[in-house]
Amino acid sequence: MSQTAAAHPQLDPTLALPFPQAALPVLRNPQLRRNVAHAIDVIQAKRSLLVAEKTDWQQLRQAASAIRAHALDNLAYYLEQFETRCTAAGGTVHWAADAAEARQIILDLLRQESATEVIKIKTMTSAEIQLNPSLEAAGIRVFETDLAELILQLGNDEPSHIVVPALHVNRSQVREIFARRMGLENLSDDPQALTAAARTYLRRKFLTVPAAIGGANFLIAETGSVAVIESEGNGRMCLTLPRTLITLAGIEKVLPRFQDLAVMLQVLARSATGERMNPYTSLWTGITPGDGPQRFHVVLLDNQRSSILSRPIERQTLKCIRCAACMNACPVYRQTGGHAYGSVYPGPIGAILTPQLMRMQHAKSLPYASSLCGACYEVCPVKINIPEVLIDLRAKVTDQERGRFNRFLDPMYLGMKIANFLFAKAWRFRAAQRLARIGLRLFTAGDGWIHSLPGLGAKWTQTRDLRGLPSETFRNWWAARTPVSVESNKEAK
Amino acid sequence: MSAPPTSRQRILDRVRQSTHSSADPDYNPETAYAALPRTFILRGQLTAEVRIQLMIERLREYGAEVVECLPEVLPASIAAQLAASAKQTFAAPLGLAAEWLAGGFNWKVDDGLRIEEIEAVEGVVTAAFCGVANSGTIALHHSVTEGRRVLTLLPDWHLCILRASQVVETLPEYFDRCHVPPNLVTWISGPSATADIEMTRIQGVHGPRFLHVILVRDVV
Repeated sequence: MSQTAAAHPQLDPTLALPFPQAALPVLRNPQLRRNVAHAIDVIQAKRSLLVAEKTDWQQLRQAASAIRAHALDNLAYYLEQFETRCTAAGGTVHWAADAAEARQIILDLLRQESATEVIKIKTMTSAEIQLNPSLEAAGIRVFETDLAELILQLGNDEPSHIVVPALHVNRSQVREIFARRMGLENLSDDPQALTAAARTYLRRKFLTVPAAIGGANFLIAETGSVAVIESEGNGRMCLTLPRTLITLAGIEKVLPRFQDLAVMLQVLARSATGERMNPYTSLWTGITPGDGPQRFHVVLLDNQRSSILSRPIERQTLKCIRCAACMNACPVYRQTGGHAYGSVYPGPIGAILTPQLMRMQHAKSLPYASSLCGACYEVCPVKINIPEVLIDLRAKVTDQERGRFNRFLDPMYLGMKIANFLFAKAWRFRAAQRLARIGLRLFTAGDGWIHSLPGLGAKWTQTRDLRGLPSETFRNWWAARTPVSVESNKEAK
Repeated sequence: MSAPPTSRQRILDRVRQSTHSSADPDYNPETAYAALPRTFILRGQLTAEVRIQLMIERLREYGAEVVECLPEVLPASIAAQLAASAKQTFAAPLGLAAEWLAGGFNWKVDDGLRIEEIEAVEGVVTAAFCGVANSGTIALHHSVTEGRRVLTLLPDWHLCILRASQVVETLPEYFDRCHVPPNLVTWISGPSATADIEMTRIQGVHGPRFLHVILVRDVV
């Protein structure tokens, strides 16, 4: 437990450490790595079973991808349609250009309600705009109602996954947090008992707090409806009981029609939690007299999304339906967990989304936090080619660095410049090979491997061995053995 | 009060600049939408009987209790389920058939019940709009027989009456049955659950912990 309490994870990309440094504490924490690996193994096993039983999985992916791409291509059209229909049904639509404006709109709405407390459905978008701290600073007490979010809130921790935000915390850690914060000394660490404790703790709040804040899995342009997909029923509580409901949604969440959910719901739960369907999905349209909140506001958040839209390769980032299949499949995430990404959006999708939300000014190490193995692309239900975007973002980072005056002090830059010079002429390359063979012989051990190098080379040998150079280059070998056979091969064709 | 109109305009302008929809004067989003690929499975292949059995199997996998009955014995079947629950006070939507409100129990018919009154009942009986066999999903559209949303939320025990004729095999078939998109929807796939602690599935967090279904065999 001490790990989470001692080092509060930094998920503000403007303050977070670069990924390689941020990952170190996790890599040195075997308990944390076990927790993450266990959770991911369970989800992955369930997901692959349920995806395999779907004989039209690839067709569903194709349709889901096409619907999301179409919605983004026509985003202004569908946003205006959503606004018109939602307003006609009694909702109020607000537009927030950035995080600060969204926070201010929500704060003003809560002040109009004279709210001193607010209940919340899990929404990563609210974490993106750092809503909770700003509400607390304004004297409004926030109650997270999703079990995982409650664990994190009471434990003063941060989410490490977008679907199972507390997957890095195990049952005895949850027991410790609940016992301390709910005053339940004799609480057992049985998940059933822990869940029951959360139910009791929140029940009163559901019944009495007059305002709720939630996100949106989808906004339906055709009807002006909002969809929330969940498991526990805390969402339904927040959507039904308070007199005022505020929905915070990124502008990219729009689907053209109600029927599009026939595709999205078939791929989302399978990808996210390895279920055929999540226990509860709610859709509502503005205000319904006598049923649910009688004041309903939607805050549509841009916060850099419109500029992501303008770049053809990066645009696909916004197709994301937040299922987290990419992080569950990612060999890097499996080792580091979510906090290392320094963002509320971890894993492969976070590695492409976060730097773009930061206008490429922060989180610039994230596009490199990947082996480009492509597992994320393979599982993505809306076919986001994450490796393609990663490479493009790496190019953008490199372009930025190319313009920097102090680039000549960067060993990587100098190394690449030298390589460029050497590779440009065959004779330079051959000479360099010859010199390297002589130089490296000093460090090559009897077993043919280099175990340690000085200076920059140490960065490699600290974590892995390097094979010594062979006595003959491929080009020399080829020149000595094969000129005749190449010619005869050509003639044979 | 709403956000300054400038943000709305700024966002929409930027979005338009970033996308192609304004570039080509003949471009029509509705035509483009109609041309999107939809090659996934739309209709189920199962016979009616197998479809019903699949629905029951899926519901049971979620931990829901399922019994079957013929239409003529439905009131008796409801009464038996209520009796077996060992509960006394039940809520019912305003439009629920009178013969479903079995005698010997304390009924709270929802003619605008207060939250505290609904919180105080032990169970609720409702009809449903549709069942989707593939995923074991029950769709409520919150009509007068399905009840307000809060009615199937606060009571810990939910008895849902689903007719065989309402059960479809695939999710797209459910959408075919919605001739007009509904205003309010709750799709229920098993009782409230969480796996937030070590991925251990725990049933019953905030929603009803017990879901019972009577499957009425109105088609044979």
